[in-house]
Amino acid sequence: MLGLLRRTWHLLRRRRFEADLAEELEFHRAMKQQELEALGADPTEAAFAARRALGSIALAQDHSRDVWRPLWLLEGVWQDVTYAVRDLRRQPGFAAVAVLTLTLGIGANTAIFSVVNTVLLKPLKAPDAARLVRFVTISGTTSSPVTGAQTFEIWRRQTSVFADVAAHRLEFVNLSGGSEPEQVPLARVTTEFFPLFRARLLHGRPFTADEDRPNGGEVAVMSYGLWMRRFGGDPRIVGQAIAIGRVPHVVVGILSADFDTEQFDPRPDLWVPFQIEPERIDGGNLFVVTGRLKPAITIEMANAQLAVAAADYARTVPVRSNRQTSWLVQPLQDAMVGSVRSSLNLLLASVGLVLLIACANVASLLLVRADVRKREMAIRAAIGAARGRIVRQLLTESLVLSLAGGLLGLAAGTIAIRALLSVAAGSNPFSPGGTDFTIPRIGESGAAVGLDWSVLTFSVLVSAVTGIGFGVLPAFHAARTELSLTLKQAGGAASSSFRRNKARALLVVTEIALALMLLVGAALLIRTSLAFRAVRPGFTPDNVLTLRMSVTATPFETRAGITDLTRNSLERIRAVPGVVSASTTCCMPLETVWQLPFVVASRAQSGLTRAGNLAFHAFGGWTFVSPGYFDVFRIPILRGRDFTDGDTAGAPGVVIINQEMARRFWPSSDPLSDRLIIGRGMRPEYDQDPVRQIIGIVGDVRDTGLNRSPRPGMYVPTAQVPDGVTILNVRLLPLVWVVGTAGEPYSLSVPIKNELQRVSGLPVARIRSMGDVVGESTARTRFDMWLMTIFGCSALLLAAVGIYGVMAYSVQQRTKEIGIRLALGADARSVQRMVVFQGMALTLPGVGIGLAAAFGLTRIMASFLFGVTPRDPLVFMSAPLLLSSVAFIAVWLPGRGACRVDPVVALRAE
Amino acid sequence: MGEHVPPDLLPGTLDLLILKALAANPQHGYGIAQRLRTVSDDVLQVGESSLYPALQRLLLKGWVKAEWGASENNRRARFYTLTAAGRKQLAVERQEFEHLILAIHKVLNAT
Repeated sequence: MLGLLRRTWHLLRRRRFEADLAEELEFHRAMKQQELEALGADPTEAAFAARRALGSIALAQDHSRDVWRPLWLLEGVWQDVTYAVRDLRRQPGFAAVAVLTLTLGIGANTAIFSVVNTVLLKPLKAPDAARLVRFVTISGTTSSPVTGAQTFEIWRRQTSVFADVAAHRLEFVNLSGGSEPEQVPLARVTTEFFPLFRARLLHGRPFTADEDRPNGGEVAVMSYGLWMRRFGGDPRIVGQAIAIGRVPHVVVGILSADFDTEQFDPRPDLWVPFQIEPERIDGGNLFVVTGRLKPAITIEMANAQLAVAAADYARTVPVRSNRQTSWLVQPLQDAMVGSVRSSLNLLLASVGLVLLIACANVASLLLVRADVRKREMAIRAAIGAARGRIVRQLLTESLVLSLAGGLLGLAAGTIAIRALLSVAAGSNPFSPGGTDFTIPRIGESGAAVGLDWSVLTFSVLVSAVTGIGFGVLPAFHAARTELSLTLKQAGGAASSSFRRNKARALLVVTEIALALMLLVGAALLIRTSLAFRAVRPGFTPDNVLTLRMSVTATPFETRAGITDLTRNSLERIRAVPGVVSASTTCCMPLETVWQLPFVVASRAQSGLTRAGNLAFHAFGGWTFVSPGYFDVFRIPILRGRDFTDGDTAGAPGVVIINQEMARRFWPSSDPLSDRLIIGRGMRPEYDQDPVRQIIGIVGDVRDTGLNRSPRPGMYVPTAQVPDGVTILNVRLLPLVWVVGTAGEPYSLSVPIKNELQRVSGLPVARIRSMGDVVGESTARTRFDMWLMTIFGCSALLLAAVGIYGVMAYSVQQRTKEIGIRLALGADARSVQRMVVFQGMALTLPGVGIGLAAAFGLTRIMASFLFGVTPRDPLVFMSAPLLLSSVAFIAVWLPGRGACRVDPVVALRAE
Repeated sequence: MGEHVPPDLLPGTLDLLILKALAANPQHGYGIAQRLRTVSDDVLQVGESSLYPALQRLLLKGWVKAEWGASENNRRARFYTLTAAGRKQLAVERQEFEHLILAIHKVLNAT
């Protein structure tokens, strides 16, 4: 024990040890020389003689070093490893197949784990992030992280359980002055936000509570990135004013470079105090609330407290709503990860199956190899190798294989996942409270996913466990060889024992069953992706270019301003060669959809739902658009007319509804002779909204997701939206320009952008073709689908290799038997048929078991599927068919080899 | 120049000799070799390739400890000191050795 401690100590001070030893020996040599000189030798000769002893000095050094080395380790393992490597190099074919199989298995696992690690396992970057919670409001079956000022105030008062409660909202603004104006993300946060996340400031200070009150002054905190990029890292910017829109804001602080709450995509460049003013529409609405639990307070305790607060609130406000509303907190990390968790779990389980198949494959290869080397093992045992020693040797061999595979897999997996994420990951910053479409926390194009210690440890562990997993069975099989029997048998490849063949058959059956399950999963997701493609969204995304422009805090944020801006700019854009049509809207399909309550004027008194100040028939989608919007997206106008430039603020209010709304609310009457009251009771600003005549009915659009059926929807002209509502809208979402083009939309992005900047003087950002926007909305499904397809194909390939290997070996073993059959006059084709039959006899039970398992398991995939049921007959027929066909080819090839056996050669093969 | 322990030296004896050489006072490697040679009238000539590994072995077992100090001619030298455990070991080994020598004597003197 003490020896072990000393050895460890020695290992830690290796360099010191070497230096000591060298100096000590040099002293020895010098003393010796002195002695020789003293005896009367001439100095050069003495030096020479002393140096001659250097050989023995080197030897002394080596041996001294060896004393400290744990010899048992060196002797055994190192010998085993060199032996294993030498042995594997003698059979490069076997080694290559085994290592590649393991590379595939471990690489795929590394890839998925690196995503799981980044998204689910890594704690949030904030200090003590485990105590951070997100507030959610549950109404009926839907839960929403978005809330308003009144509720936030109640949550903020729950100081018995929360240390800090902060609200935030992402907006987009223009930074002008100095160089080229640019559109940057801005976070509006309450004063608790920075303390909540324990943010450190590089220069200056965070906001004060006074600055966070209405009319508290215009101040801003700047991100480190923007400070370096735009202001060259000059600390004198603190205390100076920068122009956000047209409004000067005094910079009070610069955040340190490492500050990141990971909640924002994109990360905000500017931070301003929220200055919540519940009565002002643009201040007190639509934000997300985060809190920090007090020490020793659990989530359950906080939720209990919130339930009490909700009950109190219900008593003071006469809410008569048919939906039950409750408040909850959940860990911030869980809230941010959301529904990705189940998706990643599915992938992790699937990739585990791929690894199992790879293991089965290599185990089966090793069994074959053990068979071939039976004589060698017997001889080793005969000359005295202990059984444990042989098992250790064989296990070392499998560990060498698995670590080689692991190393390659680590490299391949990390590269592959980055490539996949960069094409498959989407982002949508325009949906308040996040979306279900994207993968959170992976950074831009998956940049945050990468190699770190956890991934490295995972890969090494998986490799080691894998190596032992697939090595144990063959190793013990090999060690159990009966000596005398084997040695007595002639020839290299003795006929293999029944037990060993059974083991191999079992492995093949397992492989096929697992492969089938993966294929079924992949096929279901492929069908889902195809179903997404086949969806008719109700609009035509082809040849449409979209551009974003922030008009916040500019003269264009009012009704008159925005109307002028859009009318002038659209005129110019339409004149650009190649532009077919152009329009603007507040919010783009598949990115943001507002919902507003409405009242049908013809029956304004009956069937109303009341909640607080609100009285409404239902909620419907609400979008403001400029004339020509329906042309750009080729949304059919089924009845009535489109908006025109004549639908101005002074003209009678108008609204266009969609087919679903018409069908649902005017089943037997004519909506075109009816009117709508929209948003009444929400806020004073909405009360300015005119009673609107329904002037048209347009086709339904799937605007909340391709997999969600259209809901009632209303469109109003931009020119008729009340000022306050416009200001709120352009704060939350930059104005969208949509342009129909004759050809490739991106080819026109520069001229359109230039034209827009010339008219407005404002920067344009996030230029995307509508096709890409649609693509991003299904990014996660596509990511799942591609990965499952890759896993399914890998499994198919591995299973095919597995069954091919077993059959080819069995044919080779039975060359003699086949030769005899052929010599006795058996038909070559019947021999081939026999081999194929035996191969398929292994395949079909595997297929059967796999089908049964898949039938039971696909239910858990239901939430990932669209347009296909978990037990889709087509999938459950085609997957086994594909697997059986591939397996057939894999057994047909060795079968063909069998019937080509030359009886004469075969019988001589001894 | 036959600079080595005579090959027929019994195994383990070198350790015993080194421990004994250190029993009186601390000594550096060269000094140990010198002492063994002079005391044995030039019969025991211990080469560095066996001496230094043996010293490391004793260090590992905790029977000696090493410290840097100044040699008689004022050079930096590494002095080895017997530890308490080393002293105990010396007694044990010495007893065993004498036991063995006695046995060998008996065999040689038997008629």
